[in-house]
Amino acid sequence: MENEIGDNVKNLWKNQQVEPVQISLPELHQKARKFEKQVRRRNLREYAASPIVAAIFGYYIWKFPAPLVRFGNFLVIAGVLFVMYMLHKRGAARPVPAEMAFRGCLDFHRQELERQRDLLRGVWTWYLLPLVPGMAISLLGMFISTMQHPNAPAHARFIMIGFGLTFAFIAAVFIVIGKLNQWGARKLQRKIDALDGLEKES
Amino acid sequence: MSMNGESIPAAVTRQDALYQEAADSYGAALDRLARGYEADPDRRRDLLQEIHLALWQSLAGFDGRCSLRTWVYRVAHNVATSHVIREHRVNSRILVDIEALETLPAKSDDERDIDRHYDRRHVLEKLLALIQQLKPLDRQIILSYLEDMDAALIAEITGISPGNVATKIHRIKNVLASKFHEGGNHGK
Repeated sequence: MENEIGDNVKNLWKNQQVEPVQISLPELHQKARKFEKQVRRRNLREYAASPIVAAIFGYYIWKFPAPLVRFGNFLVIAGVLFVMYMLHKRGAARPVPAEMAFRGCLDFHRQELERQRDLLRGVWTWYLLPLVPGMAISLLGMFISTMQHPNAPAHARFIMIGFGLTFAFIAAVFIVIGKLNQWGARKLQRKIDALDGLEKES
Repeated sequence: MSMNGESIPAAVTRQDALYQEAADSYGAALDRLARGYEADPDRRRDLLQEIHLALWQSLAGFDGRCSLRTWVYRVAHNVATSHVIREHRVNSRILVDIEALETLPAKSDDERDIDRHYDRRHVLEKLLALIQQLKPLDRQIILSYLEDMDAALIAEITGISPGNVATKIHRIKNVLASKFHEGGNHGK
């Protein structure tokens, strides 16, 4: 009886009225080009900030001749290049291999989410920390060269407050970036848990 | 065939030819498959377009190691599963295994009596509602079963063992028998 009902339902399923999508080849080519453009734009957005930061600190190297400031700015640029490399190596989104079997497809989704989560969790080590030495040395160098100015002793208090505030601002930005990424990692973990729920077989 | 003034190049590539063959042979099946994954007609149309695009793109790498049919269904199910995962994140809708449906009590005689008067469309709607509450793997299996595929082919598409597929199919049959005792006869 089960087989008979199964066959009846199958017949019903296969004989239902359908409206197959008619996509012409030129339409597909156009859609594929549009999709490729979107991917290119997204990649450009991901890397756009780094050359800008590198250019700003390059300008500072030229503008501020004090050796310590120059060394600090050089370290910042090196840090930015390292971040770019890490973004390229670990951060680039990978498309799902379309023809993968179901198990592989779900595993791929899970691995991608875990990779992104780990990237966000480790943001202090690969994104923020590489910039800290350069920023600290550059700031210290600027402080020292400012204090060497003939009029500096008269305004020492204001200079110290100014540098203190700048330091506090940079530290606050770093902490906010770190916290935002931890929050993002927790969100990804919830997605991983939801995926596990979808995948789990009883 | 043209769009925005662009016409198909004179030399249709192997990828284009394979896509055309796949669309001609499995176009209707892909439409039915999309119905199993998305209830909303507009979003279903988008999903179907996404499947066709992914299929065309993937066929650039088709090496004949599996049949075109297996390839088409793998791509379609993967795109649709990704769609379910995305939607699941947004809706947090609870999806269940076929085993969970199997444990539900069978219909009473009164309910079957009501079903007897329902038309084919209603039975199909009920079948779709049943499919759409399943987790992705079970959904792939039931949709493949409804397309008359055997356990070996379903195993090839899903990547799970034929034995597991056979067990699942047995459960699917039980569920269909309990839910469509009368309604299934409309398909005759």
